[in-house]
Amino acid sequence: MSSPSKILRKVRLASFLERLIQERQVFAPVREGEVILIREIESPSQVVLEYPNAKESPKSVLFPQRETLFWYRAEKGKAEVDIPRDKEQGRVLFGIRPCDARGLLLLDKVFGGDCRDPYYVGKRANTVVVSLGCDDPNPSCFCLSMGGGPCSKEGSDLFLLDVGDRYVAEGVNEKSAALLADETFEKLDEETAALAEKVKRASGASMHPVVLKEKLVEQLERLFNDPVWKDLTESCLGCGICTYLCPTCHCFDLCDEAAGTTGERIRVWDSCQFPLFTQQASGFNPRPTVKERFRQRIMHKFSYLPETQTMPGCVGCGRCVTECPVNLDIREVVTSLSKGNAR
Amino acid sequence: MRQLTTDIRSIARKLLQEKKVQVVIGFERGSMPLRSRPCFVRKEEDVERLVWDGFCENTLAAYLPKRKEKVAIVAKGCDSRAVVELIKEKQAQREQVILIGVPCRGMIDRTRVEANVAPKRILQAEEREDVLILKGSDFEQALSRSDLLHDSCKTCTHPNPVLHDVLAGQPLVEKDGDSFSDIEAFDAMTSEERWAYVSKEVDKCIRCYACRNACPLCYCPECFVDASLPRWIGKSTDASDTTIFHLMRAYHLAGRCVSCGACERACPVGVDIRKLNRKLQKDVKALFGYEAGLSLDETSPLATFRPDDPEHFIVNP
Amino acid sequence: MVESGKWEPKIVAFLCNWCSYAGADLAGTSRIQYPPNVRIIRVPCSGRVNAFFILSSLQKGVDGVLVSGCHPGECHYLTGNYSARRRFALLKNLLEFAGIEEGRVQFSWVSASEGVRFAKLIERVTTRIKTLGPSKRLVKTPDRGPFHAAVND
Repeated sequence: MSSPSKILRKVRLASFLERLIQERQVFAPVREGEVILIREIESPSQVVLEYPNAKESPKSVLFPQRETLFWYRAEKGKAEVDIPRDKEQGRVLFGIRPCDARGLLLLDKVFGGDCRDPYYVGKRANTVVVSLGCDDPNPSCFCLSMGGGPCSKEGSDLFLLDVGDRYVAEGVNEKSAALLADETFEKLDEETAALAEKVKRASGASMHPVVLKEKLVEQLERLFNDPVWKDLTESCLGCGICTYLCPTCHCFDLCDEAAGTTGERIRVWDSCQFPLFTQQASGFNPRPTVKERFRQRIMHKFSYLPETQTMPGCVGCGRCVTECPVNLDIREVVTSLSKGNAR
Repeated sequence: MRQLTTDIRSIARKLLQEKKVQVVIGFERGSMPLRSRPCFVRKEEDVERLVWDGFCENTLAAYLPKRKEKVAIVAKGCDSRAVVELIKEKQAQREQVILIGVPCRGMIDRTRVEANVAPKRILQAEEREDVLILKGSDFEQALSRSDLLHDSCKTCTHPNPVLHDVLAGQPLVEKDGDSFSDIEAFDAMTSEERWAYVSKEVDKCIRCYACRNACPLCYCPECFVDASLPRWIGKSTDASDTTIFHLMRAYHLAGRCVSCGACERACPVGVDIRKLNRKLQKDVKALFGYEAGLSLDETSPLATFRPDDPEHFIVNP
Repeated sequence: MVESGKWEPKIVAFLCNWCSYAGADLAGTSRIQYPPNVRIIRVPCSGRVNAFFILSSLQKGVDGVLVSGCHPGECHYLTGNYSARRRFALLKNLLEFAGIEEGRVQFSWVSASEGVRFAKLIERVTTRIKTLGPSKRLVKTPDRGPFHAAVND
């Protein structure tokens, strides 16, 4: 159920954000040094919206790099545990890109499915996602090929589209109603609506499509033991940047950090690209080299997840393409495999 | 540049034809503007993939440790020095490596290029001798190459490979020794100021370990960050743990780091990693008269000692 | 247990078994007074001291670290302290460069017969650390949540 679309003039954006900040925790793109990151903001002046995409994905707002699961005290023959409580205020993820919003859908399936994760689900439930459509994608973007698009509303609660001196704001579900009721939103006129349609149509034009064969899932299964993987992965350093920056990657490790008889159990990000990820206590590692680990990444994203979660583990944001130190391009890998031959 | 590409290709072709090596590790064009990337050529027909330009920034020596086959590596000055250290540390044998030396004018830092034209998108980049020409959907701009170099290239003192079996192109003029003026300037700050700087950099770190993996001299089968008995540092982005990660990684590279800059280039969030490494380089030179990677015959400084080593730091009550 | 109101530094000293530890023992048997802030950890040789020992100590909230071994040329294992000397020179400079206050981490040579010297060394190190104040920079402050009040510092 969506509310009617409205207009938000850019000159009034700051006052809207000001009010939001007073009521809720607002996370938005900010500049830190040379890099754009998603951070909690104290003032609208910190927000940067003329940006291709943030270096890190917004998953860290709902699934932090380091999260306390509980504190404990164990002494005198008994143990006590205390679980952190989220702040009562709601959260707003403001100005993220449609690919990142779609990425949240996969995290929702993983953390909200059979093995429900109360830490993620709790934060997610009280977060409103306001995404900002893309009118000028990067050469590394390929969201269209992954079932999304520069103006996709999947995963968003409120979708904004930049049409010059104003945004067209489309409510996607009832979560956006409270925001759209704010006095800064005005009625949508026909001229602006037509302009928005024009921008949407043009937005994907410059994107290079990634050609994926229809039966990619089965193709990948057949190619599991194919020697093509050695060539494809030879330059991989096994560094883990791709997994850390990916909006859908979600693997984690649990550690206890103790200080005497008290401590905390924390969850930290882990990566299938790290050698210890599958290291067994015996010393045996079923994924001993970068070849097996990189193959795992591709299989998980393009073969296993489409089967188990009905969507691929990739939204085409392009971060792994731009940030990989050796330019190991996932688009080329998947295209090669799709054709059944090496690069 | 084009001549170097041609030279490298013909050298590689000959090596493969004569079966002197099983693989040539060089660079090929990347999938995006401003990128070239490592490539592994095993067949003669693939030799045409090899290129040489100002984006060949990766340290190919990182692919050498534990390799069993006979390999040729396209080596800049920094690569050759890393290979020298790796051979001394028995990660490769001299006989199995053929170094295709390439004198290097420095590599271009694409974040610097992008910052120059941001927020405009670069769709095409063409390198011509001393100029980089950038084209987007609605602009064209020419930038001076020397303004765009990586920090590590600016402080490079060995553009010519110190060790090579065959040289592509002509040697470049050797540079003066490193003055380490940036390190001296940092040292002149107060202890509080230095700690504040380090803390700020460490705060950016997401513990992705790209710096470690990109480094040619970080090849330990079990890195200290993965040790659990004992657990030296925690895995999270806790400030104390992360500071120790950077301090100790730099310390483990003392006398071994060749300042190739692969760590800084790999870092996705722009941590100033090399500052600690450069401090150690300065001290290793000043205290032990050693510079990493210059000679296969020089023993690494922490693998030896002299009875009269400096001990001004020893407390003498 | 801390006397309320007055901070006393905690200093960890890694002493090599053959020289410095014996020197410390001699100070004890000779009844020479020295500040009680030092906690001694005996190691076979100063060369055995891993830089992590020093950093972990600082991380756990220790206010100062001292490493002491045999005088160069007198190492029980012949060359252990020579290796250590090179490594400590680099480590000390690196830590100070990174902003750890000068004087928090110190190195010395004390022989088995130098009981008086050992006491003087501890005096000097303790005084220095008292002027620096409690160590805060590398300390890992675990987030103990609601159980924080239960911990004795």
